[in-house]
Amino acid sequence: MTEPAAPKPAEQPKELPAGQFGQFLKDLGIGSKRLADSCGVETIEVAAADMEVALKRLKNSSETGLNLLITVSGLDSPESFDSVYHLWSYTDPEKELVVKVSLGKATIPEGKLPYVTSITPFWAAANWHERETYDLMGIRYIGHPYLRRILNPWDWEGHPLRRDYKQLIDALNDKNPQSFR
Amino acid sequence: MSETNYAGGTGNGGKLPEELKDTVTLTNLDMMVEAMSKIVDPIANWARSNSVWPLTFGTSCCAIEMMSVGMSAFDISRFGSEVFRATPRQADMIITAGTITRKMAPALITLYEQLPEPKYVMAMGACTITGGMFNDSYSVVQGVDRIIPVDVYLPGCPPRPEGILDALLKLQQKIRTESYVERRKRRYAQTAVRYVDYDSGLVIDPVRATVEQAIDDMEEAMNNRSEF
Repeated sequence: MTEPAAPKPAEQPKELPAGQFGQFLKDLGIGSKRLADSCGVETIEVAAADMEVALKRLKNSSETGLNLLITVSGLDSPESFDSVYHLWSYTDPEKELVVKVSLGKATIPEGKLPYVTSITPFWAAANWHERETYDLMGIRYIGHPYLRRILNPWDWEGHPLRRDYKQLIDALNDKNPQSFR
Repeated sequence: MSETNYAGGTGNGGKLPEELKDTVTLTNLDMMVEAMSKIVDPIANWARSNSVWPLTFGTSCCAIEMMSVGMSAFDISRFGSEVFRATPRQADMIITAGTITRKMAPALITLYEQLPEPKYVMAMGACTITGGMFNDSYSVVQGVDRIIPVDVYLPGCPPRPEGILDALLKLQQKIRTESYVERRKRRYAQTAVRYVDYDSGLVIDPVRATVEQAIDDMEEAMNNRSEF
């Protein structure tokens, strides 16, 4: 005897209820969209225009106290480039937040890079992370004091971790001429 | 320039083209060196092979093993290589201990060219032999022999210090059996790749192009050959 297959869990509702930090931003009048939690960490998406203010508030408010920027990373989704910020708190290690800024690929002009405001002016920890994201993913951070390639040589062409990056085939690497990686 | 460089004398069998008879004088210095080398080489090679001074060059985890082999537990000084020099001008050998990225490649070529002749390269670890676990990576040179000539390949990831000692003994055998004159003949083949077309990223290397042309010709001849 086999039990009839358990009914599949209901699909998650489109609008997740605002979490702790989403509510905090909402009270300040900054809109955010809650995404599915990443590894149990609250994940929100904010508009590119609101990002700078939102991160300033999250960093400086005693209510949130997210005063540690763990990393700034980039993400090449099919529809968009995302700039992702992982925040954490020295004072309360339970607090953690992932902030995503989505830059739609449809809005990027041909031959241009997507751009987002730099948070380096008020959060120095972002300096090298933003340079790395620019280097490998090709997201420009407007207002960065020294936005230059950090890992690859200065004259590198293209951004290697993008989906559409064509690997260089030359005398240093001609192992697989068909490589599309 | 390279066509008229007969002063080396060895590549052309000492013969001088007719049109250069008036302007070029061949000395028999080279012949004397060649004759002397039969007596001098065994002694000089014995001395050189027992004092192969490596360059302090490490770019990855292989360098840890290279440091280990310099310390007293393995003690590379038993074989005369204890003096890791910090400048290529005073070294005889590069142990390419670690991954060579495209960013590092120009520096490695410069270091190799700054080594005084005779110079040796030990490609240590999987990364510098074939690219290793960075196989077909966008940023890693797929084998250090693509940019500089390699004398000893030492596989492993990373190799044990005993492996380095074994490779060093192999290199010493190689040094003991070589001749100075023979080495001078291969002088061009010993140079690093250095001409890169920055528009295409391709290496401009006349020798390599000639070899590839020869291979192509051979293959064509094989294809055109009638059946057995």
